[in-house]
Amino acid sequence: MTIETEWRDYDVIVVGSGGAGSAAAHAASEAGAKVLVVSKDPIGCSDTKIAEGIVTVRASAGEDDTEEVLAENLRIAGSDLPTEDITAAFAQDTQDAYEWYRRQGVRPDMDHKEDKPAVLPIALGGHTKRRSIGHQNGGLALGHALWNAVVQGIDYLEDAWFLDVVTEENDDGPDEVLGGLIYDAARGVFVAVRAPSVVIASGGLSTMYFPKTDTMRGNTGDSYALALRAGADLVDMEQIQFLPFCMTYPPAYEGLLAGEPVTAGYLGVLRDKDGKVILDSVMLRTRAECSAAIVRAVEAGRGTERDGCYLDLTGNVDLPKSGPYFEKFLHTAVSGVMATVRQAWGKNAAQCKEMWEVRPGAHYAMGGMRVNSDCVAIGDDGADVPVRGLYAAGQAMGGVFGSNRLGSTSLSEGAIFGARAGRGAAARAKTARTKPQEDRFEKRLARYADALSHDGGDAPALLVKELQAACWNFIGPARTEDGLDTFDAAVAQLRDRASKAAIPADALWNQSFIEYLELMNMLDTAQAVSLAARDRDHSLGAHVRLDGGQTSTLFGQPHSVVVRRDSAGGYAVSHAARPKTPLKRLLPHMIADAKRKLSLKTLRMMPAGMRDNIIEDRYRSVMGEVSREDVDAKTEAAAA
Amino acid sequence: MKVELITVRNGEERVVEYEYKPREEGERPMALDVLLQAQATELPDLAFRYGCRNRTCGICTIDVNGRPRVGCRARVRDGDRVSAPATLPVVRDMVSRRDGVARQLRGRLPNGLRGNDLEVAAPDDYHALTACIECYACLDKCPMHARNFEDGEERRDASGAYRHGNPFSLLKLQRIRLDPVADPAEKAAALETALALGLDACRDCPGCKCGVGIDLKRKVVKPLVVAAFGDS
Ligand SMILES: Cc1cc2nc3c(=O)[nH]c(=O)nc-3n(C[C@H](O)[C@H](O)[C@H](O)COP(=O)(O)OP(=O)(O)OC[C@H]3O[C@@H](n4cnc5c(N)ncnc54)[C@H](O)[C@@H]3O)c2cc1C
Ligand code: SF4
Ligand code: SF4
Ligand code: FES
Repeated sequence: MTIETEWRDYDVIVVGSGGAGSAAAHAASEAGAKVLVVSKDPIGCSDTKIAEGIVTVRASAGEDDTEEVLAENLRIAGSDLPTEDITAAFAQDTQDAYEWYRRQGVRPDMDHKEDKPAVLPIALGGHTKRRSIGHQNGGLALGHALWNAVVQGIDYLEDAWFLDVVTEENDDGPDEVLGGLIYDAARGVFVAVRAPSVVIASGGLSTMYFPKTDTMRGNTGDSYALALRAGADLVDMEQIQFLPFCMTYPPAYEGLLAGEPVTAGYLGVLRDKDGKVILDSVMLRTRAECSAAIVRAVEAGRGTERDGCYLDLTGNVDLPKSGPYFEKFLHTAVSGVMATVRQAWGKNAAQCKEMWEVRPGAHYAMGGMRVNSDCVAIGDDGADVPVRGLYAAGQAMGGVFGSNRLGSTSLSEGAIFGARAGRGAAARAKTARTKPQEDRFEKRLARYADALSHDGGDAPALLVKELQAACWNFIGPARTEDGLDTFDAAVAQLRDRASKAAIPADALWNQSFIEYLELMNMLDTAQAVSLAARDRDHSLGAHVRLDGGQTSTLFGQPHSVVVRRDSAGGYAVSHAARPKTPLKRLLPHMIADAKRKLSLKTLRMMPAGMRDNIIEDRYRSVMGEVSREDVDAKTEAAAA
Repeated sequence: MKVELITVRNGEERVVEYEYKPREEGERPMALDVLLQAQATELPDLAFRYGCRNRTCGICTIDVNGRPRVGCRARVRDGDRVSAPATLPVVRDMVSRRDGVARQLRGRLPNGLRGNDLEVAAPDDYHALTACIECYACLDKCPMHARNFEDGEERRDASGAYRHGNPFSLLKLQRIRLDPVADPAEKAAALETALALGLDACRDCPGCKCGVGIDLKRKVVKPLVVAAFGDS
C-alpha cells in the first residue's frame, strides 16, 4: 500500500479544536508562534460545542467568592487529589478565560441591575457560591467562538487523526518532542510535522462506554494513549465521571443527558423500581454520589429492566406557587436538556409530571496527563520532566478535579489551561534546538503504513463494539477485582485480534483504519484505567469498588495513582502523595453541608403550603417574579 | 425494515440494501441508528460522520431521498435511500468534504474585539443565529453555492476555500452585524465579505431553508440584501 507523506514545519501542534485546543492555538498564535491545529472532527466540533454551556466564573455573583474559596471547593470535591498549584491556577484564571470567550463572540444574558452577566439562581452541587453562568443555545454559543478563534487566522487540518507524538529519546535527560504524525483522512495522506511543542487537547475517553455516554464520538481516549506512548505519566485514571441522570430509552436517545443533581430542585429524589426512595436531597449531592446510589441499587436487584432507577421531580411541580419557578429554572439552566427530554419522552415528562427512568452515563475523565499548572508534562517531584515540549490541556490533563468534577467547571478549564499550554508551547518553540531527525518519523510512519493494509480476521469496528461492552461491564460505574481480572484478559485477547485485523488498502478515508487507530487508543487507555482501578481497592469519589469499603476522606493520607509505560513497553503503577485539607478546614464544609441537607429535610417534612411559600421566596429572591402564565407561554414557545 | 445505503468507494457508487432490525417494539429509527447498526454488523467498513447523537454537533448530515437531513434526528421509513450530502464532493460513503466552506471566512472575522465594552446584551436575533449547528443542510439548492461547481469544475482558492458563499457563511457574517460588541468597521467589513461571496445571487432567489429551523430568509438574507442593495 502506498500512501504519500507530506512534510511540514510548525512551532506548535495543537491536537483538538475544542475549548482547550482552540484556546491553546489562539494563545500560542498571539505569542507569535506558527501553529497547526489538528482535529479529527470538523473544526470546533467537540464536547465544548455540544455542552450545556454553563461556565464557572469566580466572583460573578459577589466579591466574597475568593480564589481560596474556589480552589478549596475543587480540592474538597476531588477528595484532595487535585493538586494545589493547578487548583490555584484555575481559581486565578476563570475570569480571564471567560473574557476570552466573550471576546470571541459569546454574549451572555445580562443582569441589568448589576450591569454584568446573569448568574444561575442556585449554586451547582459542591460549589459553595453561586458562580455559574448559563448561555442561550448552550454550548453552541461557545462553539461559534472556538470556530471563529481558529478559522480567522490559524492553520488547521480537519478530518485529520493525530497519530503520535514523535520524540527523541535521551539517555541522559528528558526526551524531546520532535513533532507529530497525522492521518489526513479527507485527503488520504500522512502528514509529518516537525515542531518542538505539542499540546494534547484531544478530549476524553467516554466513547469507551458507548452508547452509555452523552459525549462526542471522538472521545476514544486518544489524549491518554498519546501521552502514554510519548512517555508521559497519567494520574487518577480510575476517576471517570458518570453523570447520574442519562436516558435509558428510547434507543436513539440512550445515554443522553436528562439533568444534573442541581436541576432536581429542592424536592427531587431518586427512587428504585418499586418507588422506594434511594437518595434524597439530590440537589445537594455530587454527581458521584447520585451515580453510586443508582449503581448500588441496580446491583442489589432494585433497578428497572433497563438497569436504571427513577428520578422523581414531581414534588417540585406539584406545588402551586413555587412550581412555576422550578419550571422556569429548569428551562433556563438546562434548556438543551429539556428539549431532549421533551423529544424523547413527551410533554408530561418535560413538565416533570412523570418520573424519568435514568442510568449513569460516561461523561468526563478527571484523570489525564500528569502536568504542572502550566500544563507541562511532569514526573515524580514535579521537577523531573519526562518529555520536553509536551503539554496537555482540558479533559486531556489530570490534576484539576481529582475524584469528582463540579458542574460547569470544564468549560472554564479548557480556556484556562488551553491558554496556559499555548503560551508555554510558544515560548518553548522560541528556544528549543531540536535537530531534524526524519528517521524517527519514518520509523513510526512505517508501522502505521503497515497497519493500513492488512488481510485478515476481525473488522476493527466490531472489535471496538466488544471492547465497549467490556468497558461498561468491568471498568464502568461499578468495579470489582474479579471484574478487572476478566477485563484484563479481554483486553489481552482484543489486542491480539487487533494485530491481525482486516484493513483494506485504501488511503482515502479508510474507515477501518480509523476504527483501528481508535481501537488501539482505547485499548491503551482502558488498560491504564483498569490498572488504576485495581490499585485503588476502596471506593473514592467516582471510583466505586463494590468489593471494597469507602475511603475515609477525614483520616488517612490522600494519594493519586500514577500509571506510566516502562522501557519494556509494559505499564508501571505508583502513587503520588497529596496534601490533605486540614481537618479544621474540612469540618466547616461538612457541617455546612449537613445543615443544608437538614434544611432540605425539614422542608420535605413541612405542610405543603408552608413548604411552597418558603421555596417560592428562595427562588424569587434571585429570579424575580415568575408567574404560571409566563412559564406556560415559554414552554409552549420552546416546544414549537 | 429495508433502507438503501449508497456507498461510494474510489468514486464508484453502489446501492446496498440494509435490513434494519428494530431494537424495541415499533421502533422508528433515525437515519443515524441505521448507519450505526449497519456498521456494527454487516458493513463494518461503512464511513459516515456523527458526534453527539443529539442534533447539536451538526456533522451527521446525510441526504434522505435526496434531501439533506440531520441524521441523528431524521426518522427513516421502509424503502428510504440514505446517501452522502450531494452539495459537497463525496469522499467516501456518507462522508462529504466540508472544509471548503469554513475556510472562506479566514481573515474575514473580527479579531478578538479587544478593548470594546463587553457588558452589553445582544439582541434576540443574535442568539437566534447562534442556534446554528453548522450542519450545512442549507447548502441544498443554494444558487450562490452552486456557482462553485458550474461547468463541472470546483472553484476553490489555494487554501481550499470555496470562492462563492452559502447561507451558513452569510449567517456568520450577519451575526457580526448584529453583535453589539463589534464596531462599525467590522460590521461594514462583514457586509463587504457577503458581497464578495456573491450576495447578489440572493436578490432573485426564493430563499434558503435551515436544517434546525432558523428563519434564514428573514434573519439573514433579507437584512443583508437590504443593507447592500436597498431592496428586499
Ligand atoms: C452533553 C454535555 C454537556 C456538558 N455541559 C457542560 C457544561 O455545561 N459546563 C461545563 O463546564 N462542562 C460541560 N461539559 C463538559 C465539557 O463540555 C467538556 O469536558 C469540555 O468541553 C472538554 O473540552 P476539551 O477541549 O478538553 O475537549 P473537547 O471539547 O471534547 O475537544 C476535543 C477535540 O479533540 C479532537 N480530537 C480528539 N482526538 C483527536 C485525534 N486523535 N486527532 C485529532 N483531533 C482529535 C476532537 O475532534 C475535538 O475537536 C459537557 C459535556 C457534554 C458531553
Ligand atoms: S444555518 Fe441552519 S442549515 Fe445552515 S448550517 Fe446553520 S443550522 Fe445548518
Ligand atoms: S437566498 Fe442567497 S444564500 Fe439563500 S439559497 Fe438563495 S442564494 Fe443561497
Ligand atoms: S450527531 Fe451531532 S448533530 Fe447529529
